[in-house]
Amino acid sequence: MFSKGNIVTYVIAFLFILALNFFLPRMMPGDPLMAIYGDEALIAMTPELKAELVERFALDQPLWQQLGAYFGALFQGELGHSYYYNAPVLPVILGRLPWTLLLVGSSLVLSTVLGITLGIESGWRRGSKTDRSMLAGLMGLNGFPDFFLGMLLLIAFGVTWGIFPLAGALTPYSGLSGLALLLDILRHLFLPVAALTLAHLAGGYLLTRNTMITVLKEPYMLTAKAKGLSQRVLKYRHAGRNSMLPVVTQTGIWMGRVVTGALFVELVFAYPGVGYLTYEALLARDYPIIQGVFLMVAVSVLVINFLIDLSYPKLDPRVSYAY
Amino acid sequence: MHIDLKKEIKESGPGKIGIIILLLMIAVALLAPVLARYDPYQQSTASLLSPSWNHWLGTNHVGQDVWSRLVFGARTSLLVGFGVGILSTLLGTIFGVSAALVGGLYEKVVMRIVDAFIVIPMVIIVILISAYIRPSILTLILLLSLLSWQGGARIMRAQALSLKERGHVAAARSFGAHHFYIAWRHIVPDLGPILLVDFIYSVRRAVFMEAGLAFLGITDPTVVSWGMMMRDALSFSYLNVWQWWLVPTGVALSLTIIGLTFVGHAAEPVIEPRLRGAEVA
Repeated sequence: MFSKGNIVTYVIAFLFILALNFFLPRMMPGDPLMAIYGDEALIAMTPELKAELVERFALDQPLWQQLGAYFGALFQGELGHSYYYNAPVLPVILGRLPWTLLLVGSSLVLSTVLGITLGIESGWRRGSKTDRSMLAGLMGLNGFPDFFLGMLLLIAFGVTWGIFPLAGALTPYSGLSGLALLLDILRHLFLPVAALTLAHLAGGYLLTRNTMITVLKEPYMLTAKAKGLSQRVLKYRHAGRNSMLPVVTQTGIWMGRVVTGALFVELVFAYPGVGYLTYEALLARDYPIIQGVFLMVAVSVLVINFLIDLSYPKLDPRVSYAY
Repeated sequence: MHIDLKKEIKESGPGKIGIIILLLMIAVALLAPVLARYDPYQQSTASLLSPSWNHWLGTNHVGQDVWSRLVFGARTSLLVGFGVGILSTLLGTIFGVSAALVGGLYEKVVMRIVDAFIVIPMVIIVILISAYIRPSILTLILLLSLLSWQGGARIMRAQALSLKERGHVAAARSFGAHHFYIAWRHIVPDLGPILLVDFIYSVRRAVFMEAGLAFLGITDPTVVSWGMMMRDALSFSYLNVWQWWLVPTGVALSLTIIGLTFVGHAAEPVIEPRLRGAEVA
């Protein structure tokens, strides 16, 4: 499956992302300084600062020189300067990143494991009452936008019953440490993770169930049954493992969805990750941050897709014969 | 491709439920001016009222009637959904079918672009662009369509490639039929069911996206939208107004998406016939 052609695909995708990042603010009507540096920069603007800003991205030069300045800055790891936080963009984003990784990571693991398991069970019993109610239930759940699920959980467990905290990732000024701190983090993490996991459970489930149904019709399943293998071995080792393959190919696209899903869920729970940072930046029109987050998320998803493409023939050798 | 799509959907329980939900939502959107009891934009001093005979779902923080806004919100959701559905299915068909028929360098270039767009996370691009342009409904439809036709084009091309080899298409070609004629007379009619599945999933994605963007506050603030209503309601979640303000809105949005999912899933054996029998067996 992997070929030179695939690299070209990723190069095109990468160039498109960079082009969008470069041209979009520069094509906006009005002052490009405002579109590149955000509202806050204009408020703080002095003639000296203005001259410096114009110079940094070569804004008084022709477009191709601006492009050169843009790439020069980018390859030095310079994502711009946020005038809202009065700090370079990269450290601001990196400071929020651990919370998002924690949230996205736990939800991704939970929803994958649960989704695949439910998919195997449901596909194995295809057509039965259990299968049909599971299918309808999960497809219904799939219809709930993640932010709505989040709000329902927040109102039920946070506002009404007061079991879980309403917002944030830590109790502020609690001075907790050690185990107490860990428990505090987990307590704050629970509802956002639950919302994100429930909202993205159906993807893996539907895919595994569909493959399971096709796999069960394969001749090797009949052979395995004829050998007298136990139900459990048939279900998990023979059918289940082979049904997981398409889930792997989808992980990249899926991860993109969970990351953007985290953006909405973080907003609901005021969870201080990259998503909430983006939301604050949208409110303040802090364009450097928005651009920085866009670049980081888009490029990470690309890289992960690329790695999955690379590893897929190793997981399923059939694909290298097919091409 | 002689699969009866109507039969496929009718034979599936969720498929029927999905159709009923969708028809209901379309009816609400069409009859919005009749169903609404107030102008959805009319502000008043009577803010955050509880449900009463005058205001079935109470009023919001600026005194607008929630029920009227809910009903008119259906219009925004469905307009964006169906607009994107039609446009992106159209684009997908044009590029998918033409790539299959013309072949050569053209096919390579088109499919390369399609593949590149499939690996880019679309939501984040839409958020970035919307952050700058705050799209109106029309711009939003164009934007989402331009970013979402690629998946459909891929399926359409695969199908057109196999249809192209059929006897009747070869016969038409031997009579000197033009690409466009072949596409219109022989390929597109046989794509029918696949077009519908692609259409339904595009609509679903667009409804989702519109609500999400409005929830983030980066769509046109002067147009009533379910996402925006939920965003407003969230800031009052400590009051009990969520019961009639937030929940009905979220349920309306979720029901619309569930209806589309059910219909789409019921029609899916059209693309993957091996799945047939999974529902009823």
